[in-house]
Amino acid sequence: MNLTRDRVYSIGWATILLVCFVLTVALTLRVNAVKSQVHQADKRIVAVQQDIAFLETEFQTRSNQQQLKLLNDVEFGYGAPTAEQYLEGERQLLALGKAVGPNAPAPLLYAHDDGSAAPEKDTGNSLLAMVSPVTGASAAAATVNGPEAAERRKLARDAANLSQRLARIELPQASQQ
Amino acid sequence: MNAYSAITAHGGLSIPTTVSGGRRKLANVRQRALLVAKWRTLWVLAGFTIVGVCAMARITWLGLVGAAAPAFNPADALLPQRAEIVDRQGVPLAREFRVYSLWYNPRAMTEGSPLIHSPREVAEGLHRIFPDLDVTETAAKLASGKAQYLRKSILPEEANRVHALGEPALEYPQEATRYYPQGSMAAHVLGYVDSFGKGQVGMEQAFDKQLTSADGRGQPAVLSIDYRVQGALEDELGRGMKLSAAKGAAGVVLDVDTGEVLALASLPSFDPNRVQPTDMMISPEQARMGEVPHGFNRVTNQVYELGSTFKPITVAAALDAGTITDLGRRWPAAPLHIAGFTIHDDENMGSSLNVPETLIHSSNIVSAQIGDELGGKRLKAKLEALGFNQRPSIELPARGFPIWAKGEWPRLRTMTVSFGHGVAVTPLHLASAYAALVNGGVWRPSTLRKLDPADVPAGRQVFSPATSARLRQLLRMIVVYGTGRKANAEGFRIGGKTGSAEKPGVGGYRKHSLITTFAAAFPMDKPRYVVVATMDEPQGTEATSFQRTAAWNAAPVVGRVVPRIGPILGIMPDNTRDIDISDLLPLIPHGSGND
Repeated sequence: MNLTRDRVYSIGWATILLVCFVLTVALTLRVNAVKSQVHQADKRIVAVQQDIAFLETEFQTRSNQQQLKLLNDVEFGYGAPTAEQYLEGERQLLALGKAVGPNAPAPLLYAHDDGSAAPEKDTGNSLLAMVSPVTGASAAAATVNGPEAAERRKLARDAANLSQRLARIELPQASQQ
Repeated sequence: MNAYSAITAHGGLSIPTTVSGGRRKLANVRQRALLVAKWRTLWVLAGFTIVGVCAMARITWLGLVGAAAPAFNPADALLPQRAEIVDRQGVPLAREFRVYSLWYNPRAMTEGSPLIHSPREVAEGLHRIFPDLDVTETAAKLASGKAQYLRKSILPEEANRVHALGEPALEYPQEATRYYPQGSMAAHVLGYVDSFGKGQVGMEQAFDKQLTSADGRGQPAVLSIDYRVQGALEDELGRGMKLSAAKGAAGVVLDVDTGEVLALASLPSFDPNRVQPTDMMISPEQARMGEVPHGFNRVTNQVYELGSTFKPITVAAALDAGTITDLGRRWPAAPLHIAGFTIHDDENMGSSLNVPETLIHSSNIVSAQIGDELGGKRLKAKLEALGFNQRPSIELPARGFPIWAKGEWPRLRTMTVSFGHGVAVTPLHLASAYAALVNGGVWRPSTLRKLDPADVPAGRQVFSPATSARLRQLLRMIVVYGTGRKANAEGFRIGGKTGSAEKPGVGGYRKHSLITTFAAAFPMDKPRYVVVATMDEPQGTEATSFQRTAAWNAAPVVGRVVPRIGPILGIMPDNTRDIDISDLLPLIPHGSGND
């Protein structure tokens, strides 16, 4: 059998082709095996998610508001905290300072909640209550934009912070001196 | 020897052929048998080869193109058939829950009897697992040979025990059902899903399309309800109902600036997980007695004459119209005789009253005069602006139509409406009206959807802001000095008005059947929430000091609800704040300014 150069090349190409084909088939088999594993994993994920949902629901049912109320009634007897248990700002702190003496005038009360207790939650509701001095119309329906609104919000925010408020008082005093 | 004798007898050579012929025949037979056996072996081999080649081809094919599994998407598999309903904090109030059911499938066994044991034995086995199961009925079901449910919603451990019975015909498929983890809480808001998968009564019905649509299923429907507030309101209403031996109770908590309903409760309630036919229907006798089914929503569907809670609205309308310019003006408080009808007060409160005193002591006589001076036209227009002439604006399907007189009101009707008789509205109407009274005068429709701040409706200006500011002072005074004292939770600056109205019955008002209401808002220095509590036919009990009016049953409920919900909603009690009522204090006898 005489092996010419061309023949060797042909056999070589054919061998390479065969090897490639075998490798392709092997790879395809492997890919499909992995696909099948992914499919199985997906199914397991779904099953686990369903289990989680089941357990969540069970937990929610066992800890639902009515159950907690029963538990509280029987075991703990907690009630809603009273006003004395809250200390919101420096004004309430100040009120703790000294007991009101006999015949002393009633302590001054803040007549309006300016929203300074929770400035970061201010969604502009305090502005909604503002009224035009000219038309008497409420600002509720009007949208407030522009630098004035920003300044107003800043003031409300600063009012919550004692140090910033003091800084604001000091500044005009400093300019007068 | 036989062969030899044959040669000699014939004188020639003759070869006996019997033996050799038999051998050849035998050899042929043997060869043929061998051939057949070979062929058979070949056939078997060929059969095996074909099967093997087929199997290999199939395996290779499967390996190359993948198993022809149905397209599987985990996201689709986890998508519920009906979207969740969550509260404003994202806590699920209604969700899909997969439960086991007990299903009898007589075709599970392909041959012979569908059951291994007798139907009676199987039924007895099931009875040991489910003690409330009827053995005879179940045995009949099993014997009938029809595929059917034996039981719905069984526990996993019960499913295991059914499996241990060893009957292939007893199957326990997992099925998606609607489940309400909070039980009967907010039942009237949520409603329920019937056996056909259709939403009924509450938001399940209102949102039915959205909840089941392809786009809507993935997203939970967010309600404006806060389940903690809802729980507190239901607790306290239930407690108040027990203490006053009332037939029913209703309550609502409303955001004054947006119209969002934070809680809406109607008692007695029902459990949407186990809806009984009696929850939705009552007998004609019960209906005649004035009873309503538990599924009936008293907040949005039942209209009541809400009595004295209308008086602040009358005063606000008069302030707006300019018929009251001086709150210190005194009005005669002697019983009024109009068109053969006498308007009187429950007790004598002096010969004359000014406006703050009228509200503090809840005088019908002076309210009637204020309404009379205002005129029916203007009072009617104001009440129409508050939406009292139409169904309440809410998404729920059950919305009651007010009892509302059309046309021009005669003088007597104007006077009775001014103290809350002659017009019947739902407690939700009243809550929206009170929100407008205290929020600067803007009426907004109430909603059960959680609103983005940008989506809050602009509403309509019903009262002037100055009137609203005055009303805040007056409502606070009622709670500090008047009939609402039992609602004065310390530090929460509650303001509100009591109302006790006699229920209409056959042949006029029934003196001993009251509807008592307390409509309140807090904190009065910057109102954020309106709370309305209504009691249906409260009785005078020891707990209510044998009193039946709103001051003794509805007001204490609000007084207990507010401290529970205030801190949750970001309103902290504060004894160093209150609304300034100092300019009105000189108008009331004990209001020296110091108490």
